[in-house]
Amino acid sequence: MSKEAKSKGKILVDFPTNVVKSIFRNPLPSSDRGRAATSFTNFFLHIQPVRVSRQALRPTYTMGLGLISFFLFVILTVTGILLMFYYVPSTTQAYGRMLDLRSSVAFGVILRNMHRWSAHAMVATVFLHMCRVFFTGSYKPPREFNWNIGVALFLLTLLSSFTGYLLPWDQLAFWAITVGTSIAGYAPFIGKELKFILLGDATVGQEALLRFYVLHVVVLPLVLSLFVAVHFWRIRKDGGLAKPEEAELKPKPAATLAPAEGEPGFVVSTNITAMEVDPVRRFSIQGLVRGPFVKVGKLEEDTVFSWPNLLIAELFVLLLTIVGVLVVSWFFNAPLEQPVNVMHPPNPAKAPWYFLGLQEQVSYSAFWGGIGVPGIELLLLMLLPYFDRSKAGVGRWFARQRILANSLFLVFVIANVILIVIGTFFRGANWQFVSPF
Amino acid sequence: MAAAPKRIEHGEPEERQIPRRHMLAWLSGVGVVGSLLTGVFSSLVFLKPRATYGQPNRFRIGRPEEFPPGARMAIDTKRVCIVREGDKVAAISTTCTHLGCIVAPSATGFQCPCHGSQFDVDGNVTGGPAPKALSWFQVTLTPSGELEVDKDNEIQTGTYLSV
Repeated sequence: MSKEAKSKGKILVDFPTNVVKSIFRNPLPSSDRGRAATSFTNFFLHIQPVRVSRQALRPTYTMGLGLISFFLFVILTVTGILLMFYYVPSTTQAYGRMLDLRSSVAFGVILRNMHRWSAHAMVATVFLHMCRVFFTGSYKPPREFNWNIGVALFLLTLLSSFTGYLLPWDQLAFWAITVGTSIAGYAPFIGKELKFILLGDATVGQEALLRFYVLHVVVLPLVLSLFVAVHFWRIRKDGGLAKPEEAELKPKPAATLAPAEGEPGFVVSTNITAMEVDPVRRFSIQGLVRGPFVKVGKLEEDTVFSWPNLLIAELFVLLLTIVGVLVVSWFFNAPLEQPVNVMHPPNPAKAPWYFLGLQEQVSYSAFWGGIGVPGIELLLLMLLPYFDRSKAGVGRWFARQRILANSLFLVFVIANVILIVIGTFFRGANWQFVSPF
Repeated sequence: MAAAPKRIEHGEPEERQIPRRHMLAWLSGVGVVGSLLTGVFSSLVFLKPRATYGQPNRFRIGRPEEFPPGARMAIDTKRVCIVREGDKVAAISTTCTHLGCIVAPSATGFQCPCHGSQFDVDGNVTGGPAPKALSWFQVTLTPSGELEVDKDNEIQTGTYLSV
């Protein structure tokens, strides 16, 4: 009797703890082995490496741009799903639903603002992230394929925002899509067919709205998520964030931390600097990581545990992103123009800022501005890491050895910025040159 | 040493087996790739509508008397401009040949608000990025005495219908 009662009592005593234990296999880590295991046994943390180089954690190195882009994508997914509950992809209802968000939907305005501003921000951060990767030479082998995944992600981001701004069915939406799909019509060989399939009709109308809606809420996010997954996976498999060759690093004094007493084979320390593990002991920790890429005995000196160093950095960036989006969405309302008037394009009919460079190019020649030049730029971006293969200057901003490549890319960036500035501020009615001053 | 001749014995059937496996693998590969290509192709065919729900490309615009000589009336819903000079009537497209905006009649002809293309009264390009002149559509007189425009039927610039 007493035995059974005791065991029953034990079950009850254990009750909340065993549930927690079933979810989190690892207690909060107090040892280095625990820190490694925490990264390793948690589904969400195992995406990250167990240890991460100090370089990758330096805010001035990455500026967190890739991470910000990802968090913006998460915010866009969440707000987008919520907005879908009140949206109808119909030419007669869509605009009314936009107005309803203002008048009769709780948090309708702030949700739409968050969605719109996050989309704008994501285009910017993805592009800036690409600039960071270029100026630090991080696209070079073995990261050349991941660079191309990144280029694809940039295109998918642009396509997502392009399909997104048809949905309110206001004047900007209608005329931007008219112009955009006409540009697609200039593509060689398949242009006419492509335009017809995109619009589902000869002109922009109900069919186009439905098609862009499906692309925007299902197809593109799905493809984008897949590419994001591959992008993240490849970062790990290509050896983490790019860092300078060891020869370029200044020699560092060896870690002086002695292994403290504790479990044999594992370093236990109460000191915060214990994140720096004794090189002697690292074998056992790295041994947790199976696979072809374990580098036993050839470990970077300059690494720290992801738990908690990387995690804290990531949470901080997440907080920063959320706060930024919320503040902007609180003070600025997403634009909504007049309802569609098929008869009268606004004059000038301007796309959002990130397409104004393209629109400026297109105003010189539809084919060359809309298809030819962007196509060549894209091709160059994709082929770049296969031609520029020198290992010098990787992992540092504006390395002197890369002055030519960096200068060329800078010219590309500045040219596009200038085109955007001209399109935004210097173009008036009938796309005539006007002075904003 | 005894194992050596045994291996040779089994060598032959093994050699025959390997091509069979390769064949199966090859066939499976072709099958999978084929299904994929067929799937993509049929999806594209599926996505290309056979019937559209937009407005028809052939439509009536009214009796010739409604357009007095010298009139240049843009019918924006139909995206054509009806031009009448004396007894001659024509329909000029108001869809910009550049990127599909609606051009507006101006003193000198037509002007596009989107990217600044300019056309003369006959629709020929006089400025801006437009690559070609505005289309002229065939106009016919129906038995009921109404004018009918057929946007599927482009005709040469300067071809009028006498009424």
